[in-house]
Amino acid sequence: MSANSATAVPPYTENDPQVVQELTERFGEHAFTRQATRTGMPVLWVGRDRLIEVLRALRDLPRPYVMLYDLHAMDERLRTHRDGLPAADYTVFYHLLSIERNSDVMIKVALNEADLNLPTATGIWPNANWYEREVWDLYGITFTGHPHLTRMLMPSTWEGHPLRKDYHARATEFDPFSLTAAKQDLEQEALRFKPEDWGMKRQGKNEDYMFLNLGPNHPSAHGAFRIILQLDGEEIVDCVPEIGYHHRGAEKMAERQSWHSYIPYTDRIDYLGGVMNNLPYVLSVEKLAGITVPERVEVIRVMLAEFFRITSHLLFLGTYIQDVGAMTPVFFTFTDRQRAYDVIEGITGFRLHPAWFRIGGVAHDLPRGWEKPVRDFIKWLPKRLNEYQKAAMDNSILRGRTVGVSKYTTAEALEWGVTGAGLRATGLDFDLRKTRPYSGYQNFDFEIPLAANGDAYDRCIVRIEEMRQSLRIIEQCLNNMPEGAYKADHPLTTPPPKDRTLQHIETLITHFLQVSWGPVMPANESFQMIEATKGINSYYLTSDGSTMSYRTRIRTPSFAHLQQIPAVIRGSMVPDLIAYLGSIDFVMADVDR
Amino acid sequence: MQYKLTRVNPDRANPDADNERYPIGERQTVPDPMEEQVHRSIYMGKLEEVLHSAVNWGRKNSLWPYNFGLSCCYVEMTTAFTAPHDIARFGAEVIRASPRQADFMVIAGTCFIKMAPVIQRLYEQMLEPKWVISMGSCANSGGMYDIYSVVQGVDKFLPVDVYVPGCPPRPEAFLQGLQLLQDSIGKERRPLSWVVGDQGVYRPEMPSQKELRREERIQVTNLRSPDEL
Repeated sequence: MSANSATAVPPYTENDPQVVQELTERFGEHAFTRQATRTGMPVLWVGRDRLIEVLRALRDLPRPYVMLYDLHAMDERLRTHRDGLPAADYTVFYHLLSIERNSDVMIKVALNEADLNLPTATGIWPNANWYEREVWDLYGITFTGHPHLTRMLMPSTWEGHPLRKDYHARATEFDPFSLTAAKQDLEQEALRFKPEDWGMKRQGKNEDYMFLNLGPNHPSAHGAFRIILQLDGEEIVDCVPEIGYHHRGAEKMAERQSWHSYIPYTDRIDYLGGVMNNLPYVLSVEKLAGITVPERVEVIRVMLAEFFRITSHLLFLGTYIQDVGAMTPVFFTFTDRQRAYDVIEGITGFRLHPAWFRIGGVAHDLPRGWEKPVRDFIKWLPKRLNEYQKAAMDNSILRGRTVGVSKYTTAEALEWGVTGAGLRATGLDFDLRKTRPYSGYQNFDFEIPLAANGDAYDRCIVRIEEMRQSLRIIEQCLNNMPEGAYKADHPLTTPPPKDRTLQHIETLITHFLQVSWGPVMPANESFQMIEATKGINSYYLTSDGSTMSYRTRIRTPSFAHLQQIPAVIRGSMVPDLIAYLGSIDFVMADVDR
Repeated sequence: MQYKLTRVNPDRANPDADNERYPIGERQTVPDPMEEQVHRSIYMGKLEEVLHSAVNWGRKNSLWPYNFGLSCCYVEMTTAFTAPHDIARFGAEVIRASPRQADFMVIAGTCFIKMAPVIQRLYEQMLEPKWVISMGSCANSGGMYDIYSVVQGVDKFLPVDVYVPGCPPRPEAFLQGLQLLQDSIGKERRPLSWVVGDQGVYRPEMPSQKELRREERIQVTNLRSPDEL
């Protein structure tokens, strides 16, 4: 498959000055407060009264900011380092992404505790819907004009807004959980779906609709995901995806773990991605600390991340083919996964969640003799992929079930915030490893697989081809592994290089504090996005000059992908939905965090 | 061996039924009912023992798992179902998508407060005899997620038979947990019929593996070096 270019993406512009200029020309110098950060994009504070105007302008600029990449909030009440920032109890931020400029911009709005209210942005970007619901759920900030501002991650019977700084983090700070018969009935009643709440009709002109509840436990829902279908016969008239059955409070958890001890939690965000999840986090922390890692570290990280891309895609492939009716391929792909895990386990010592990357390096150097298993794996997989291609992807039943099913265009994908293979299957050549290289990806020779139709079949084909490209990258890592240290020589590298400690008492004390309390990161904000297994995953960190993060915002791709479901599947049949769910490739931990 | 006797009497009028906590039923620790005087007679005792073993043998070697997963652990559980680990060797490969056809449920993953009523409902829909394996740290105790949205251990409302430690446990660990469940089922005394014997469920209190294997574990002094594959 060759790379055709629907839209040519220019090289990445860091801290794009042009958009700031365009905005100040239009709204005047005084409309904005500029905040200096290490996020790599301009961060502009704007008054609440002008917010919608500014967002609308960014959406309508020539070469517009088509994607609302992220929208979330922060409780500023306990933040001490706020030099020169507008007074705020809470902040809501809008992270916008332009494909045609290949640059980002962040708009922030300050809010007062007494008046937590904002106009909704759902009229500009449809995907603001879920983000605003989440902000309301976790912070209690209302969005006027929002079509359905209700609980999303927490149960509808929940009280309080967990991400506020005055809300308890630990379960053990509450009474121990217990379930009584009465509570069970109450909660079950709260789960009942009422179509009227969603503006749905129970009858059409000539027919009664059936409401089918699929999930939160259903074999083809790939986890604790619930979707309620409004059916006319077997046709899906409308549907309501419901999430929150997998909310592990990962963002709140970051506020009480040291910068170092939070790494294992990142593994469990996209739990098929393993160390791939560590990457945006450690890169972001390294930006805060100002650490540049040695070349060997970059190459080791890339190699392991690509291994996890392969294991994740293999699981996708097996389950996807199973979802559309073929039983055996899943047994074969899991055999391949086992082979990949033999390599991963040999190097990192763990299978699913190695938590093996460190701030400023990796946990350990590559063991002696790592080359052979890696080489064996590179030899093993290609012929298996060819088999899958022949046996499953060329199979007429599979093609019949997936070609032309759940199709969407590039423009639709962008307005819903879709990234990853789901975006590239529509023909847009946007892969961060090429468009915004990180961790040394610019040094590798590989291609970005694309497809044209944006249907369930293409999303799978793109991923199979991505596995082949990942093998190419791993092979280059194997043949060109640089010599050198596996940790950066920097005071904030955690844990610090051991020989630093034994110099004199001063270095020993520093080492002791850094290991027991954790490193202190300079107060600032930083941001890193990567091309993860399921799409673009990013960490937006705010440090208040402490051993813990003040706010960690994790933007996950699957959240956006699930929000898009109703827009794509309306008018299709129930079996199409199953093929579609399989082709999205999501895990619930990556949705609810 | 000590047994745990569970009695659930649906006929008993409970004035406070609404506030009754899950798991519902009365539990007490009792000695093996087969060792009582009445069972020492050749006719009744041996016959009943043979019947129990025959039924238990059948039950433990054809355990049908419920296709239920919550998070990361489910991936490792599925791995145990596929070719390299092949759970069919233990007669437990018939995954059922309906709780009504399943024999045991593996709580593979984190139990969330939002999910708990759903899990309880699914457990209730399973038919007796039924068992629960708690797989992984989250299901065992909340694990590393001591956070507002997570139930600190699924045994807060479900009766758990086997706990498998790990985050996530390897597929081999899950298979070991399954075998431990089989051992335990082999020793159970459930009512042989609704007219035979008393209607309580006697589950053996199995010894902790941590203590059983302690000697063997502390013998290990040389660990593999991480410097070499």
